[in-house]
Amino acid sequence: MNEPDVNALVEGVQRADSAVGLLLATQALAASAHPQAAPCLVEVLGFNNPGAAVAAVDGLIAIGEPAVDTILTLIDGYNYGARAWAVRALAGIGDVRGLEVLEDALGKDIGPSVRRAAARGLGQLRLEVLEPQPRRDAAERCLQALLDGCRDGEWVVRYAVAVGLELLAPAVHPHLAEGPEPQQRLHQALLGLHLNPAEEAPVVSLRAALALQRLGVRHG
Amino acid sequence: MAAGAADQPIPGNGDPISEEEALRRIRLTDDPSAQYYAAWWLGRNRSSHPEAVPLLQEALRQRRPRDPGAGVEENAVARNAARALGKLGVPARAAIPDLLATLEDDDHGLREAAAHALGDLQAVDAVEPLRRRLASGPAVAGAQQPGTPRLQEPCEALLEALGQIGVAEPAVLAVIEPFVVHERPLIRSAACRALLQLTAEPRWGDQLVALLQHQQLHVRRAALMDLGAAGWREALEPIAATLAENSLKLIALRGLVEQPGRESGSAGAVPDAATVAVLDVMDALL
Repeated sequence: MNEPDVNALVEGVQRADSAVGLLLATQALAASAHPQAAPCLVEVLGFNNPGAAVAAVDGLIAIGEPAVDTILTLIDGYNYGARAWAVRALAGIGDVRGLEVLEDALGKDIGPSVRRAAARGLGQLRLEVLEPQPRRDAAERCLQALLDGCRDGEWVVRYAVAVGLELLAPAVHPHLAEGPEPQQRLHQALLGLHLNPAEEAPVVSLRAALALQRLGVRHG
Repeated sequence: MAAGAADQPIPGNGDPISEEEALRRIRLTDDPSAQYYAAWWLGRNRSSHPEAVPLLQEALRQRRPRDPGAGVEENAVARNAARALGKLGVPARAAIPDLLATLEDDDHGLREAAAHALGDLQAVDAVEPLRRRLASGPAVAGAQQPGTPRLQEPCEALLEALGQIGVAEPAVLAVIEPFVVHERPLIRSAACRALLQLTAEPRWGDQLVALLQHQQLHVRRAALMDLGAAGWREALEPIAATLAENSLKLIALRGLVEQPGRESGSAGAVPDAATVAVLDVMDALL
């Protein structure tokens, strides 16, 4: 798709005068997956139209890395709802530049749906593009944020933390992490989620058991 | 089930307080607003303090005529006390007689809260009074009250409680069945949920799955919650495909994983293949 076509789709979003119209126009723009669509898609995140926001997040994830700077630049002044959607987009894209936003979201956001997206996102950042030392540093930050997330008050966030830890495991392999200690902490955290006697949601314990099984850790 | 119960905002002055403070506030009989919040807090935090149940029983008895001009009206305290008792498990079974008395109250909202709590506590003694309240059927118990959107009885709560308590006697099923053709989709959903829980017959699950396609979002949400409560595994794909928030789909799918009667999550347990299939869908919704 060339630039004039994208501009026409952007205009379509700007001209939309109903909720359904906005949804359809956003879906069309998102389907272009063109980097030029990113600023407009980020703008849609702030419109308080959940359907359109879902489409915009999908579009931003489809654009991928070229959308990251736009998201990070634009979300700062945005309202809470827009930031929440932006966290979902950054989690889905998996670019390391989103790390700080994801850390912040898992640790501080008031919305469980935002924290759960951030927890999963912290497990699936594409750290392999980094040099060894920054890669270890980034993996350590992801791990620490997820370890703190084990104490979240919402079951769905603890569930997402179990998923995030499973996804992060390859990045803290002793071979990459210069030692077994990070991997041990990750396994310990999953064992904690699995065996926590105070866990009110059996599904959390079960998901942690599945992660341990997949990582080849004996338990129970 | 009316959706969104999990995300209800903190009522009243939503400051973080200690259990000790909650127990102090629930005694403040001249400050219903403080009691209201304290009752909610004790339920939400599943207080196991030995004084929690007796104090909530006390608050449940605190019922007065409604006075809309007085801020928090007093029955609101009783309603929150009933809901909280439902969340406190075995120790709260001592309050079942109080909740049974509340089920006969003139206040529709109180009967509703009592029905929910009796269902949560799986109070077998409640089956007969619950059944009796519904026995006049959709045309009477399920008729709309003039001048309000309410039905004569809190049918949704009564139906859900019968399903949750789990006494599958023919007389119970016979009273629930007519409600699956009630004019309101939420009542149909609650009736199908109860029958699915009591009989495990696929036809009730199929009707709930059909409601996932309803054009109104709040109906789709309710059907999601009801399928989750019944743990109907056959609904996995339809739940994943429903047009609704991921948060609600995740709650429903948690219900599928933790379906009643299934041993799950205990130490050493490893999920079987069917459970892993549900977990995989959950992972994709995060």
